[in-house]
Amino acid sequence: MTVSKRKRMFTVCVLAFAASLLVASARVQMAIDREESKASEVPEALLIPSGNVVRKLSMGHDGLMADIYWTRVVQYFGGRLRDRHYEFRLLPQLLNITVTLDPQLMIAYNFGAFFLATPPPYGAGMPKESVALLRRGIEANPDEWRLWHYMGFIYYWELQDYQNAAKAYEEGSKHSKARTWMKVMAAAIRQKGGDREISRFLWSDIYQTTEDETIRENAQKHLETLKALDDIDEIRRVANLFHDQTGRWPQSFEEMSAQGLMQGIPQDPQGFPYVLKSDGEVILNPESTMRPKQDPLSR
Amino acid sequence: MIARQTWAIALNSFREAVRDRVLYNLIAFVLILIASALLFGQISIGIQKTILINIGLSSISVFGLFIAIFLGIGLVYKEIEKRSLYTLLSKPIRRWQFIAGKFLGLNITLLVNTALMSVGLWAALYYLTHQFAPEDVHIWTAIYFILLQFSLVTAVCLFFSCVSTPVLSAVFTILVYIIGSFSSDIRSFGELTESAGMKTATMILYYALPHFDNFNIASRVSHGFPVEARLILLNTVYTIVYACALVILSARIFSSKDLK
Repeated sequence: MTVSKRKRMFTVCVLAFAASLLVASARVQMAIDREESKASEVPEALLIPSGNVVRKLSMGHDGLMADIYWTRVVQYFGGRLRDRHYEFRLLPQLLNITVTLDPQLMIAYNFGAFFLATPPPYGAGMPKESVALLRRGIEANPDEWRLWHYMGFIYYWELQDYQNAAKAYEEGSKHSKARTWMKVMAAAIRQKGGDREISRFLWSDIYQTTEDETIRENAQKHLETLKALDDIDEIRRVANLFHDQTGRWPQSFEEMSAQGLMQGIPQDPQGFPYVLKSDGEVILNPESTMRPKQDPLSR
Repeated sequence: MIARQTWAIALNSFREAVRDRVLYNLIAFVLILIASALLFGQISIGIQKTILINIGLSSISVFGLFIAIFLGIGLVYKEIEKRSLYTLLSKPIRRWQFIAGKFLGLNITLLVNTALMSVGLWAALYYLTHQFAPEDVHIWTAIYFILLQFSLVTAVCLFFSCVSTPVLSAVFTILVYIIGSFSSDIRSFGELTESAGMKTATMILYYALPHFDNFNIASRVSHGFPVEARLILLNTVYTIVYACALVILSARIFSSKDLK
């Protein structure tokens, strides 16, 4: 074997050895990942739970720290949703630290309030903490009328506290920049309480104004649910008409179609056919993911 | 004549700093800035611009602070070590001129450094938003406040540089910076205590220490809020007065120093 061949052979051996070491390191890394995934199941805790302490330690870079904590909120919330861990113990604390560091960080109130208030699987299901966060936001940003809107909405939808909801809309409507419908909303809630039209209006506004995909998806689902409730009311009305005409409840949608009362089998906004029960009652298809229980009228 | 001589010392200090390749950290800074803007744009919701401004201003502040401290501590000591001071003082130059020139020189270095870093920040901002909003002009106020902060740090550094070794000067300056950033807490502590002696001591400390927390407006301008003209004026006056006091003290100490 010539010297050059020997050299080439040696190089090949060294490269093969290095490659095998890399493969071995990947195997070791897999083992480390497995260990770490066990460790991540340990209950989480914040090393520094006080926003004021974090602010002091940031030595003037509190704006940057607020951004970091807000990113942490987003990562924490998104990560828990992704992993289907619907316990968001750290969320209120993380949000409080964020707004302590930067009380003008509107996004933390706008999105944070919804992250907190919305029940699982879309949020943490902590409406009271959400209201507390919004109160802090209003105190620090008295010109932001939308925070009153969000508070009124959470009182209305999540807590069904119509008195406080109306009060929040009324307070918000006093702002010079507030939309005129805030005043109308206050009066409507005070008068009608949990009305489907009010709900539809509020969810539509959330759907149109939010920049967050999770909140928009949630709003869309609620709008679909409201539409389904309208559909169910309409089908019930038609079933009653059938009962009046024939003296018995319809046993299928085809019967009602044959009677000329409807066309085809009605479907909910997700495309699932409604279910007609033998007593004329209409319900959602069990496969549908809509949540009619969220509607204040059906609770 | 005196002004020209002092200016010549300042320019020489600046040239020396440039030769030290201090300004080359800028390239790394700009890259970090743009990379972080892109990264945060991906992992956060709706505040990419706020994050970029905060990261940009904090980076300028932290990088500049390091430069101010690590150049400032050697201002006097290095000249004595290299014996170049003796050549300089053999000319008709007063010792206070040397101190004033060094102070000005480091301030020029920091000004150029900050200006270049600011270009990086504005470039990144333009890259992210493709346009400048009218309220973006307030970022300049924050940058100006950072410069004022640097000037104070330089004065503190120069003072310690006249009385101590470079390592100790760095330690003292960092400590003063940290305590100065907590100055409002010193006053709060004094207000809480019932001891009259402690009240007086904390009050003296409160006014004696430089107030670095005066200059923290990054978070405000990142939301597009303006800064009151009166605050800008007061901070400028405060910095001039405090820095002048320290430079005069430094010059006095240096003048009475035995250089043999």
